[in-house]
Amino acid sequence: MTIATAFLALLEERPQHGYDLKRAYDQHFGLDRPLHYGQVYTTLAKLLRNGLVSVDGVEGAGGPDRKRYTITDAGVTDIQRWLDEPEKPDQYLQSTLYAKVVGALLTGRSAAAVLDVQREEHLVAMRELTRRKQGGDLADRIICDRALFHLDADLRWLEHTATLLDELAAELRGTKE
Amino acid sequence: MSALIAAEGLHKAYGPTVALGGADLIVHAGEIVSVMGPSGSGKSTLLHCAAGLTVPDAGRVAYAGRELSRMSDVERSALRRREFGFVFQFGQLVPELTALQNVALPLRLDGVSRRTAERRATGWLDRLGLADKARARPGELSGGQQQRVAVARALVADPKVIFTDEPTGALDSIAGERVMEMLTSAARETGAAVVLVTHDARVAAYADRSIVVRDGRSSERAGVR
Amino acid sequence: MRRTAAELALGVRLAFAGGRTGWIRTALTAAGVAVGAVALLLGASVPALLDARQDRALARADSTGAIEVPAGDTLLVAAVESQWGANAVRGRLIWPESTRAPLPPGVPAFPGEHRMYASPALQQALRGPDGDVLRKQMPYEVIGTIGPEGLSGPHEFAYYAGYQRVEKLVREGSWRVDHFGYTIPGDVESGTGTYVVVAAMLATLLLPIAIFIGAALRFGSDTRERRLAAIRLVGADRRAVLRIALGESLVPAVLGLTGGTALYLLARSRAADVQLFNVSVYPADIRPVPVLAVLVVLIVLALSAGMALLGFRGVAVEPLGVLRRSTVWRGRLWWRLLPLAAGLALLYPVVLPGEVGEDRTGAGVVLLLVALIPLLPYLVPVVARALTGGPVSWQLAAQQLRQNPVSSTRAVTGIVVAVTGAIALHTFFGAATVRRATPDDPADPGYMLQTAAYQAPAAMRARTALFEQVPGVRAGTVARYPLYSTSGTTHLPGYLVVGDCAALSQIATLDRCADGDAFTSGEVPAAVTLLDDSGDEPAPGDRLPVPRNLRHATLIGSDAEYASESILLTSGAMPAALSGVDPWFVETRMFATGDAPATVAGELRGVAAAIDPLAMFTAFAPEHDKYATLRTALDIGSTIILLMMGTGLLLDVAARLHDRRRLLGVLTAVGARRSTVIWSVLLQAVVPVLAGLLLAVGAGVALGAVLMRMSQVPILFDAPTVLTPVAAGLVLVLATTVAVLLPAARRVTRTEELRYE
Ligand SMILES: Nc1ncnc2c1ncn2[C@@H]1O[C@H](COP(=O)(O)OP(=O)(O)O)[C@@H](O)[C@H]1O
Ligand SMILES: [Mg+2]
Repeated sequence: MTIATAFLALLEERPQHGYDLKRAYDQHFGLDRPLHYGQVYTTLAKLLRNGLVSVDGVEGAGGPDRKRYTITDAGVTDIQRWLDEPEKPDQYLQSTLYAKVVGALLTGRSAAAVLDVQREEHLVAMRELTRRKQGGDLADRIICDRALFHLDADLRWLEHTATLLDELAAELRGTKE
Repeated sequence: MSALIAAEGLHKAYGPTVALGGADLIVHAGEIVSVMGPSGSGKSTLLHCAAGLTVPDAGRVAYAGRELSRMSDVERSALRRREFGFVFQFGQLVPELTALQNVALPLRLDGVSRRTAERRATGWLDRLGLADKARARPGELSGGQQQRVAVARALVADPKVIFTDEPTGALDSIAGERVMEMLTSAARETGAAVVLVTHDARVAAYADRSIVVRDGRSSERAGVR
Repeated sequence: MRRTAAELALGVRLAFAGGRTGWIRTALTAAGVAVGAVALLLGASVPALLDARQDRALARADSTGAIEVPAGDTLLVAAVESQWGANAVRGRLIWPESTRAPLPPGVPAFPGEHRMYASPALQQALRGPDGDVLRKQMPYEVIGTIGPEGLSGPHEFAYYAGYQRVEKLVREGSWRVDHFGYTIPGDVESGTGTYVVVAAMLATLLLPIAIFIGAALRFGSDTRERRLAAIRLVGADRRAVLRIALGESLVPAVLGLTGGTALYLLARSRAADVQLFNVSVYPADIRPVPVLAVLVVLIVLALSAGMALLGFRGVAVEPLGVLRRSTVWRGRLWWRLLPLAAGLALLYPVVLPGEVGEDRTGAGVVLLLVALIPLLPYLVPVVARALTGGPVSWQLAAQQLRQNPVSSTRAVTGIVVAVTGAIALHTFFGAATVRRATPDDPADPGYMLQTAAYQAPAAMRARTALFEQVPGVRAGTVARYPLYSTSGTTHLPGYLVVGDCAALSQIATLDRCADGDAFTSGEVPAAVTLLDDSGDEPAPGDRLPVPRNLRHATLIGSDAEYASESILLTSGAMPAALSGVDPWFVETRMFATGDAPATVAGELRGVAAAIDPLAMFTAFAPEHDKYATLRTALDIGSTIILLMMGTGLLLDVAARLHDRRRLLGVLTAVGARRSTVIWSVLLQAVVPVLAGLLLAVGAGVALGAVLMRMSQVPILFDAPTVLTPVAAGLVLVLATTVAVLLPAARRVTRTEELRYE
């Protein structure tokens, strides 16, 4: 999801000033990295140029930010197109975890040991996320959940693989003897 | 800080099946410990031994310095009423009793007067968002509501330890989260320790630290407090 | 203290809050307890009842025994014991010898000549439809009513009549009393096999009730044990679990006791309407002995508590679940045979000739019924093992039967005991009815009137004619003189019998007969010696010549068996010397032919009373079906029991189906046809019943034979009486099983059930 799409989504809800947009973005999508004002205005300029938003008026004096942005029909269509298009699933085919497990196997070490170390590391992260989730609002929850589900999936895959590989290793040792 | 529960070198076999082959479990007052491991690894057996529900073949379990295997059935039962709480996957509520009566049950069995018991039970039901379900019987509640009743019952006698075994196992993830959140926050508030048996890392993440049981052996690993 | 109370209260709450199953269980147990409580309360009232009856009977006792009371302020009494239909009639002919003579209890004043005080029941009968016939037995004017203190019960037929002639009959039928209330040691009324029958009936009715209470309490026990395990998890110890179960059993026990007491009071208020074996009671006499009443309450509470605790035998309720000590059934045969052996040991004298002790036989009969209970769970797996092979459905059923025969036979046991008792008693009643219709020997008379004084041949003929006026009755009057015999066979005396040809031909088969003929059943003696029994020892009396031309005749009926050589003389052949000798008896023998009216006995008694109210009238054929009331009671009782057991069975099948829901669901899921599953459950219910009914027929017939032998009734069986209870039991089982099975099986075999649990 690009910043532009995020702005369009926020503007579809209601017309907003650039400053509000930044705050809303930080709250819903920003996670750990808040937007610079520079990013806000370049993005808005690009959207204006492409006709996806319009400026619906300059309000009374005061403040650096007097323009209010409104989404255009083209902008709504753009959002719809974005939502309609499925995301390509991440393949996770090349990951360090995968590499470690294969490494353990190749060097004759226990994959379970890798798992145990990794699980604790994952769990630390998951505990942190869980704590944050309990403190935060709905958006926080949803974001933390995504991370939690992914970490959980990692662990489950590790567990699954470790069982398989340990069995395989035992089998190999058995046939050698 | 001395351990509230100290289980050491537990062995337990069911016929040829070795359920525990040298497992340890240390629980300090007020902490939440998760016990993880694949299914069939001996997690439940470890929990049952630690709570005095099963007698291990070898090894000792001490609660607050007293060995459980030396206690009589009467003493262990008293412990279950006053010091322990239990939340299992299902089947722990008495279907004939209302939610309120179920929650008040440990107090009633301990000789607390009906009025006091029901007042305290009502308080816990309110806390767990079940104020309007007090007169419902378990059969009329959803799975998540039933588990919350079980949580209320586990907490009603101000226990020192709550033993939970796959408390969210029969629930969808939203209901499961709700139960876990209510359980852990209430436990932290009352200062009760929790032993949380689960195979689910997302549930285990509610704990302060985790131990892993594999083939009947536990790995007490240091965790972040 | 508060804990115990809370635990009991929890048990009570569980009994009420058990949903539909819980309610059914509570209601059924309460019903069983109620019936049991009524029986026990009535039993507890028997001592008071007997005491009250006994007190009144003693207060009016006028039998002085061997003591002769000298004349003074005395009353002359003569007893007329008679019968009217099913009712014994106690009649007393009295005449005071002084104004200060004792008054009988319940009688306000001495009745004048041919006037009487009668009991309410007798007065009612006299006013009733056949009152005219009855009146002939007591042709006295009713001037008042005997009060309750003079009667044994409200239905007693009794009267005190003024009868001056008793003055002349002292020592020949009447005697003097100076008060009422004589006590004669050892004078205890004792019935025949009747009390054994009553004992068998109580056992037949009570045993299944006990079994029923047990079965009802165990209904749904698996669910309840699981629930107790859940309670144990939250901190109940083992004893607390038992206390909770006790509290739970308290509910049906208290409900049952209340219901039972209500039924008892109802039965008591209706008591005056009922009579059994000529025993009727006043409601006021039915009151439980206080100690026994308390005992009944305790017994009922203990019984239901005991049954509840018994259910935990071999079961350990632990916080994590219920442990059964042994799931595989290991039944041993030998101890199951013990009650049977004991019962047979008590009963074996029955097959030997001679008298049989009643108490012993009663105990044996009850024991034999009890013996069925442990035998059934053994028989069922034997059948299941014997019939190996067969379709899948049977194999499924057979395996279940082998593994857990006790639970499979639980409900059936009661049905089997009930059917056994019903068969035994019905066959016995059937045989007793047969005997009622015919005297011991078809050639014997139905009734006989015996008087002591000599009667001329013409008078005897007139007496015969009097009785033959009753429609459907043939009669004959003879005079009988016992003969003295020097040979050792004095216990079978011969007789000299005098009568007309018609009368004699009722005693022996005669080739032909005319007045003046004489007959002998044995050798032809020159003379006979009459027996003189006026002294202590039998002595030879008058010696009489015998006509030369004796012809041979064969005695018939009981005489053929019990009399030795006898001489029969027509009046024409009577030696002149005989007219000076008083005969032993002048007896009129009466035969009721097929078209005799039902009231013939009453009419004959009336005629006899007109001849001499104090003459001895004997009925050889029972005048009524004394088991009619019992038979009705048995029918009602066994119907109630079969219905109760049927309900029990229904619940049992439903509960078992529920418990094995998962297994059945799995079977269906792996592709077993639904019909296979249904058949397996059906077979599992029906096979124990068939095995049990087989046992019931055997035991019932054996018990029936014992009862018949006890009451000296010819042993006789007919198929309908045996098979009706069997058919009733079978139909009941099939109907209930199918009724619960089909809808339930459809639900159970839906595979969706698998998603849960
Ligand atoms: N009551 C029992 N009887 C027989 N075997 C048992 C019993 N309880 C557990 N087991 C066996 O012991 C092992 C450990 O079981 P458990 O402690 O329930 O594992 P977990 O809870 O980790 O899934 C398993 O192989 C299980 O089959
Ligand atoms: Mg488990």
